[in-house]
Amino acid sequence: MTQSPDAQRPSPTPIRVDAEVLENHRDAGGNHCLTLEIPGWPGAEPGQFAMLKPGGPEESDRTDPLLPRPMAIYRGHAPAQSGGAARVDFLLKVAGRGTRLLAGARPGEFIHLVGPLGGSFAPIARGSRALLVGGGTGIASLYELAARGAKGAEVEVILGARRAEDLMGSDAFEALGVNFRVTTEDGSRGLAGRVTDGLEDALAAAEGPTTLYACGPTPMMRACAEIAARVGVACQVSLENTMACGFGVCLGCAVPVRSGGFSLICRAGPVYRAEDVVWEGLP
Amino acid sequence: MSGAVDERVNLAGIELRNPVLTASGTFGYGSEFSPFMDLGAIGGFVAKSLTLQPRAGNPPPRIAETPSGMLNAISIENIGVEAFLSESLSALPENVVVIASCFGTEPDNYAELAAKLSESPRIAGIEINASCPHVKSGGIEFGQDPRLLGELISRVRAVTAKPLLAKLSPNVTRIDEMARVCEGAGADGISLINAVQAMEVDVETQQPVLSNILGGLSGPAIRPIALRMVWQVAQAVNIPVCGIGGIITPEDAIKFLLCGATAIQVGTANYLNPAAGREIAEGIAAYATRKGFPRVADLIGALRLPEA
Repeated sequence: MTQSPDAQRPSPTPIRVDAEVLENHRDAGGNHCLTLEIPGWPGAEPGQFAMLKPGGPEESDRTDPLLPRPMAIYRGHAPAQSGGAARVDFLLKVAGRGTRLLAGARPGEFIHLVGPLGGSFAPIARGSRALLVGGGTGIASLYELAARGAKGAEVEVILGARRAEDLMGSDAFEALGVNFRVTTEDGSRGLAGRVTDGLEDALAAAEGPTTLYACGPTPMMRACAEIAARVGVACQVSLENTMACGFGVCLGCAVPVRSGGFSLICRAGPVYRAEDVVWEGLP
Repeated sequence: MSGAVDERVNLAGIELRNPVLTASGTFGYGSEFSPFMDLGAIGGFVAKSLTLQPRAGNPPPRIAETPSGMLNAISIENIGVEAFLSESLSALPENVVVIASCFGTEPDNYAELAAKLSESPRIAGIEINASCPHVKSGGIEFGQDPRLLGELISRVRAVTAKPLLAKLSPNVTRIDEMARVCEGAGADGISLINAVQAMEVDVETQQPVLSNILGGLSGPAIRPIALRMVWQVAQAVNIPVCGIGGIITPEDAIKFLLCGATAIQVGTANYLNPAAGREIAEGIAAYATRKGFPRVADLIGALRLPEA
């Protein structure tokens, strides 16, 4: 079994809870930003996720869609005050019926939540250099990593989108005081091209210990993994897959790993060293 | 919720504090659920099916959602009996009732496994998985052939004094016949149903959604089928029946008890709500109280049929 990246911090004990929807607004690119009020939230480490199922206690007999959906925790990694609740943000891409229901949840309605789950990114070492590359809703997994890293390391964030109007989270990332760049495929904002264009040169020119962190569509992460391998830079990626439980029992979220056999994304991941993943075997 | 109502049942010689077990393959090795509920709040759990050696599963995609259900083809991925006995069991509190599930490709594997498991005082009973719908050899082959099934149960019966449950496949023509064969071969109880063999296709890619092509359908979609089979088997045998299939709510569980099940197993529901077992047990007790049944055991077979 492949280990998660080294120096990972211990994860808080997960909870299951009915969380009230505080806000749910349409974000760029047809995506949604869902804000939940989570009683007794134990906090989370960067890269962790939660399982979300629309409907509170009154709808606990809802059977279609049946399964919860894994969603990266975007903002809200601090634990709730004792006896209180925490505001936690998620970015949703509508991919089917389950995510459409989550995207349509109105303030005052409830979402059944299990989390935080999975492991986390290894923290950005003080004094080191980190390059974070995000695409689509994958930027959610990188936000807290960037926020913590910005306090003692040189952090550069590159977010990519097809068009300027599809880009999410740029204000939030810019406000962190990191070096921030945008690429769009049509050139409507920032550099024209893919988020991985120019990455090889940027990494090759970097001085001192550098780590590449990537989260987004699988082809994007695979390209990052290949570039990092060529340049000889460490790379961590956050994978996603269909899963029924999120805590290691349905065994549905298996991905092939270089050490042989399969690894469960929900337990050994979702963060992997890029070289441990058998990219050609991903669904 | 325990207060007035006596929640205890006896399943094939296994004393349970309430009739709610969790089903093999949906509850890991138990401790995965410790963050979400006190494992002592349910009657017990059936651990993931074990093989003699550790076993890797199928390539992805392994699961897919279907209307009110899910398909899976994991293929009995498990840590192997030795790791289960030496690590998983010792991680569990003493008050947790553990039933072990055995899987093999031939009766000798099953018997060797059952013998090893029987040595542990922590194992309350043994369930024979003769019904995995997505393993190429073993499992379902036994579950679909009455002669092979009888031989398998006899073989295991000879090596264990633990309460022995035979878990049946629904993928047969005569479920009552399969249950009678198990009773005749010495099983102490019948668990049913395992997943229904099924398939789904993605029209965009024109491919099956699972790498294994076929999988097992579970969840509320199969519940009425399971209920019918539990009803039929409860009529056909004199040993206790454990009802399984798409139980999500306390009401679902009560239906199985009314149709003759002595206990039930919660399966797919554990994925969406890791405290489902506890909530279902509480709901059953509340129902018994509301309906004036002094004991939950009084619900077993209490189905009221129309006058002939």
